[in-house]
Amino acid sequence: MNGSRLLFVDDEEGFLELYRAAFNRDGYTVETTATVDGARECLAQGGVDLVVLDIRLGEVSGLALLREIKAKDSRLPVVLATAYARYQDDFSSWLADAYIVKSSDLNELKQAVRRCLGKAR
Amino acid sequence: MTTSRGESAPRDRGLRPERTRHLRERRPALRSIRPRRVLDLLRRVSEVLETVVDPEVAAWSVLVAYTAGEGLGFNRSFLLLADGDQLRGWFGVGPLTRDEAREVWAEMRQHGVLPLERLAEPDSMAVESEQRRHAATLAALSHASEKGCGAWRRAFVGRSNHPNPCVRHWVAVLESRELVVVPLMASGRPWGVVLADNFVTHAPIYHATLEAAETLAHYLRAALERTQLLRRFQEERRRRMAADHATALLETARTLAHDLKNPLALAGGLARELMAAPPRNPGTLLRQLGIAAAAISRAEQRVGDLVDGLASRADGIALEPVEVGAFVDRVVEAFRPLATSRGVRLLCYHPPRPVRASAVVHSLERCLENLVVNALEALRESGGEIYAAVREDGQWVRLDVADNGQPLPAALRVDPFAGGITTRRGGSGLGLASVRTLAEAMGAKVEYDEREPGWVRFTLFLRRWS
Repeated sequence: MNGSRLLFVDDEEGFLELYRAAFNRDGYTVETTATVDGARECLAQGGVDLVVLDIRLGEVSGLALLREIKAKDSRLPVVLATAYARYQDDFSSWLADAYIVKSSDLNELKQAVRRCLGKAR
Repeated sequence: MTTSRGESAPRDRGLRPERTRHLRERRPALRSIRPRRVLDLLRRVSEVLETVVDPEVAAWSVLVAYTAGEGLGFNRSFLLLADGDQLRGWFGVGPLTRDEAREVWAEMRQHGVLPLERLAEPDSMAVESEQRRHAATLAALSHASEKGCGAWRRAFVGRSNHPNPCVRHWVAVLESRELVVVPLMASGRPWGVVLADNFVTHAPIYHATLEAAETLAHYLRAALERTQLLRRFQEERRRRMAADHATALLETARTLAHDLKNPLALAGGLARELMAAPPRNPGTLLRQLGIAAAAISRAEQRVGDLVDGLASRADGIALEPVEVGAFVDRVVEAFRPLATSRGVRLLCYHPPRPVRASAVVHSLERCLENLVVNALEALRESGGEIYAAVREDGQWVRLDVADNGQPLPAALRVDPFAGGITTRRGGSGLGLASVRTLAEAMGAKVEYDEREPGWVRFTLFLRRWS
């Protein structure tokens, strides 16, 4: 799974910096973007193995982008990472392969990424 | 408590039109002209029903008019409402047994109680009490609305040999010789029934009484429809407010999660990452530390906003120094003409030097006015004395309002400030409840005692101004 290409979408630049540092160290290739358009562009280029997606992306909902991604490629794993646990009640979020609540401890996110990549292979 | 006085027979003589005999499901060809007393009763009840907001109070008011001696004079009366194919007992007024009837009526005569006088200010405890007392009878009266009920149009007198099984059932349950049945129909189907009888006095039922009973029952139906609609509207409004509240809370939770939890998770995550793998490049280290510091600073700012927001909710309470002695003199003086007209002496005591307390003037006015009004009510019948006294008591300034009128009823003594308990003394009970609410909003408190024999005292403890 090391060497997999991960796309992180989060409107918080700080989180993107954190994800870059943490996941690069684990051997992943990390792509980051703070916007929906940036995510579309990266996905259009191809080669992304998994997307980690925030739900509140400024004015745009990450759930809309999730639906868009799954409509184009239902096999591409998407992990939702958000500060608010109750988005799980929104059935749109059920399309995601994993749902984690953001924490200073990245272990849960890392485990979810590994699990989803394992299933995808 | 019962409201019947068992005086139907003598009273009915006044209602009896000439040449009208007892009605037995057969109405005379000529309509009678209603005597003035019946018209007065109908006007009085309709005025009361115009302002009633509770279905139970509407039912109580009309059934009291049925049973009061100065009303239609029935011994007791019941309301049944249609529920699917059932007519279910819903409300009853009057004595439960013959012995109770005689006892209560004698007591009412002795004390000159006139139930109709209380129609305008219904006692919620009496209404609830009647509901409880008659629960078993009402359950027994419930009956399937058999074929035939739907054909009823006008009020009639039913007996044990009546062809309709509903009527026979009611006569049997109530052990009545005869029973007034006032059907209430809607779209050709039973909507409800009012029953009334003279199970103790066996007084005959005259046409005019039956006609008045029918009119009152129709007033009741209109009032019930209006009050039930109002109740549904209020419940709907409460539900909508609760839903709005829940939505607002969820939105707040989302915002807090995003604005507060995110930066903390970010700062914590970066700190962990720096510990796990300190970057060799000092520039990277500084950048990541900067991100963590900015995230913490943002969270700090958000917490500050929250604290300010919460604190601003209390901005409506702006405490100020109030010179309590002069304040009490001013407020009490406004009541002096009313007190004098009722034969009540109003006295004020306070120290010669100024005593200042922390308060909101208009809230304190409301508190003191409520307490003085409460004391005046207690002295309504007898006259007497009220004193308002200001005393210093450590960190508190005590403001006593005491009267030597009737003591608080037992129901109020447990917690006079709970609200919702209705008695003559204490009015609706909401006055004292609002005193506590207002006092607590000012950081004050209110207490009640009857330590001094013959005196009822309420004390406001106001915080001394410093």
